[in-house]
Amino acid sequence: MRRPFSKRPRKKPNVQQITVPTQTRRMNSISEQIEQLSASLISADASDLQILADAHARFEQLAQCVKESGTSSEAMVGCVDRMADSARTMLEQLILMEVDDTAQQLSKVMKTLADLQQLMTTGALPDALVSTDTVQKAFSDSQPKVDVASHEQKSLAKVFADDELELLREFITESSGHLESAEQQMLILEEDPTNTEALSCLFRAFHTIKGVAGFLDLQQIQALAHVTESLMDKARNGQLQLTGTAGDLVMRSIDIGKALVGCLDVAASTRSPLAVLSQVDPLVEKIEGFLAGKQGAAASEATSLPASLEVINVVKDAPKLEINSEVAAADQSAGNEAKPQGDGTVKVATDRLDRLIDMVGELVIANSMVAQDLGPSSKENVRLSRHLGHLGKIVRELQDLSMSLRMVQVQQVFTKMKRLARDTSRKMMKDVELILSGSETELDRNVVEALADPLMHMVRNSIDHGIETPDVRVKAGKKSTGRVELKAFHKGGSINIEITDDGKGLNKERILKKAIEAGIVAPDAVLPDSEIYKLIFAAGLSTADKVTDISGRGVGMDVVKQNIEKLRGRVDISSTPGVGSIFTIRLPLTLAVIDGLVVKVGQHKYIVPINSIEQSLRPTPDMLSTVNGRGELVSVRGALLPLLRLHDLFGVEPTTQDPTKSLVVIVHENDRRACLLVDELLGQEQVVIKNLGEGIGDVRGISGGAVLGDGNVSLIVDVPGLFDVYSNQLTFN
Amino acid sequence: MNTTTRTTRGGKYLTFALGKEGYGLEILKVREIIGIMDITVVPRVPSHVKGVINLRGQVISVIDLRSKFAMPEVDRTEETCIIVVETSCTNGRKRSTGLIVDKVSEVLSITDENIEDAPGFGSSVDTQFILGMGKIGAAVKILLNISKVLGADDEVPAALAA
Repeated sequence: MRRPFSKRPRKKPNVQQITVPTQTRRMNSISEQIEQLSASLISADASDLQILADAHARFEQLAQCVKESGTSSEAMVGCVDRMADSARTMLEQLILMEVDDTAQQLSKVMKTLADLQQLMTTGALPDALVSTDTVQKAFSDSQPKVDVASHEQKSLAKVFADDELELLREFITESSGHLESAEQQMLILEEDPTNTEALSCLFRAFHTIKGVAGFLDLQQIQALAHVTESLMDKARNGQLQLTGTAGDLVMRSIDIGKALVGCLDVAASTRSPLAVLSQVDPLVEKIEGFLAGKQGAAASEATSLPASLEVINVVKDAPKLEINSEVAAADQSAGNEAKPQGDGTVKVATDRLDRLIDMVGELVIANSMVAQDLGPSSKENVRLSRHLGHLGKIVRELQDLSMSLRMVQVQQVFTKMKRLARDTSRKMMKDVELILSGSETELDRNVVEALADPLMHMVRNSIDHGIETPDVRVKAGKKSTGRVELKAFHKGGSINIEITDDGKGLNKERILKKAIEAGIVAPDAVLPDSEIYKLIFAAGLSTADKVTDISGRGVGMDVVKQNIEKLRGRVDISSTPGVGSIFTIRLPLTLAVIDGLVVKVGQHKYIVPINSIEQSLRPTPDMLSTVNGRGELVSVRGALLPLLRLHDLFGVEPTTQDPTKSLVVIVHENDRRACLLVDELLGQEQVVIKNLGEGIGDVRGISGGAVLGDGNVSLIVDVPGLFDVYSNQLTFN
Repeated sequence: MNTTTRTTRGGKYLTFALGKEGYGLEILKVREIIGIMDITVVPRVPSHVKGVINLRGQVISVIDLRSKFAMPEVDRTEETCIIVVETSCTNGRKRSTGLIVDKVSEVLSITDENIEDAPGFGSSVDTQFILGMGKIGAAVKILLNISKVLGADDEVPAALAA
């Protein structure tokens, strides 16, 4: 076998090219490589397969580099090899989700990396690692040739040729798509095993993967796809249903298939040997066993595949695609330059994106500052004001564009819920179907990310506490299969996400009783239903058995509320006993910028979000009336709307108390409408929303502050919050 | 107070005045000192929270130390200042807060032996805000534990918002 890299250490596939293909062409030093590796791992999340797979390959290259650098002692090389190996084993377990405490596993990997770093910088072997056998083995391998050869045996499974790369990339993109859709179809099938369309789709997915994998000589993927396909073939012929054990097997092969494609991706982008996963063969055997009728044996082991894995790379018997590596190495730089750029997208670090959006926000402020400085006197300088108008248009467009950069579909979160619902309902022994709609709705990326946690809690709660067990459901005259619906849609300038279940509903008497016991509510308080339901968000009522033994819905609900409120959203609950509950999350479209109407009350300026304004008018005396001498009403075109005196609610001194001398702004939030009494309207402005600072926290009726053109901070009116403040005042006064 | 806090108390303190009383803040907690400016009033917050200001694009809350310590408020003068302090919240984030004080004096190095524990005042003075009493010649500076002073705010707005 050839020794492709040992004589040309600098031509080795460069890890930096994984992330920064054009920046650095040559690997400068090993320590740099370690740094990069640690940088990518620090930010890694245990669920990010791409990064993990990437790190997996990098560890291997690292060991290789150390070996080739020629400067290290034998003992050192052996030690590095060992450490890299153990790190890779841990990573592999992570990728295949075989460990429960992923965070701890990840930190173990980090620890190994830190040891490696120490080893490379100081040249000293960390005590823990100098186990006699390593050192002895390393020393006894005094002939470098033997060493390299053995390493080659381990790692040189397959390196891809240039002409294959294009095909390979296509295959990677395609097969990840297929696997994704296979997972979806599988979830559909589990709900409805007779769905032939989903089954054919699933079959097609694996069939295609099998075909192309065979063509590209990717044996593991091919083998896996082949047995899975056979499994589906039986299902198509009606010989078995893809539920229970068979379903778990398919799910498992989808997971492993994803891991395999991940390895392939790394191998393709780094031109490194393709890693071979040790889990594939047991699974293949298991499925074969299952197909052969050993259902009992397969069933018991289907979900507990061997956790121990030792072999990471084995020599593939047919290295026919292995090409002259020296040529490959020589062509490396050219090849990388000509690397096809996928579908024309660029990956950008999120902090850069966030900074861009921040800067655009500041630009918007600066723009309105200049516009304000120019003022109405701009008639004198028509040219300047025209150019300023032009600038404003560009700024506006730039802003829209920059906001859209961060918009992503909620689909990614929703899809996760599908899997979660499946697993949870299994665990709870309930039949639940999760229906998704509107998953193409776009939301700010930060919002979508922050939404994952609360949604998870809520879906889990709905299944856990909302949906009854099948026998209870049947007794209550419902279908035995519970239904949870997750729906996203636009409504009035905000995004609504609804979680509807057809379970037993919330037990408001018990919630209220518990809240009174916990001292959250006064014993004699009379609360509307919606307020009672909101008590489940109270931190003191967070455990299910405290509220009630049957319909708790407390677990993690305070977390849900906090997370949603952090996003300037709100959660509303409605529930009918025996029929089900609806949780509605309302979120603003974007986090950063809103269009606002600047109003003045006395000396103070406030900003009312444009999207909650209907109109503004100056009421005539005959439009005004009072109820019980207290609640003031304005009659606007036949509708009686309550008059909210902003100066009363905010405790400031107005210019005039007389509504007929000032203005009212009609605001709405869903079906609630009201008139806000303000002194003056100052004009419309785009403002960047800022938090009021940690020291103040949440203020009802205020959603944040914004720096106006004059440099002062103005408060942004939170219309729904204001409604609450107003109704509380009426109740408590 | 245990010995560990005792050994770390010596150091540089920014001293300021509230009426006739001299106070000190650990210099590492101070971010900057700015002149008094227009403060945007925020409704429905405790009375010692005067509102928010724009500190170069960042909105920070401003509290009046006089009313925080239940001292009578006075008119603002040329010497009235806002000291911006940076403290860590329980969630690990940094938080900047403006403190309105009558006058900023100077930065003093106070050695550990010149710092004494706050004497008990009975129930009339809450000493948990006090890090210690610094002696500078005949004068006494009340060294504040600013995290405690600000930390006590947290519960109040939460109660209002509920």
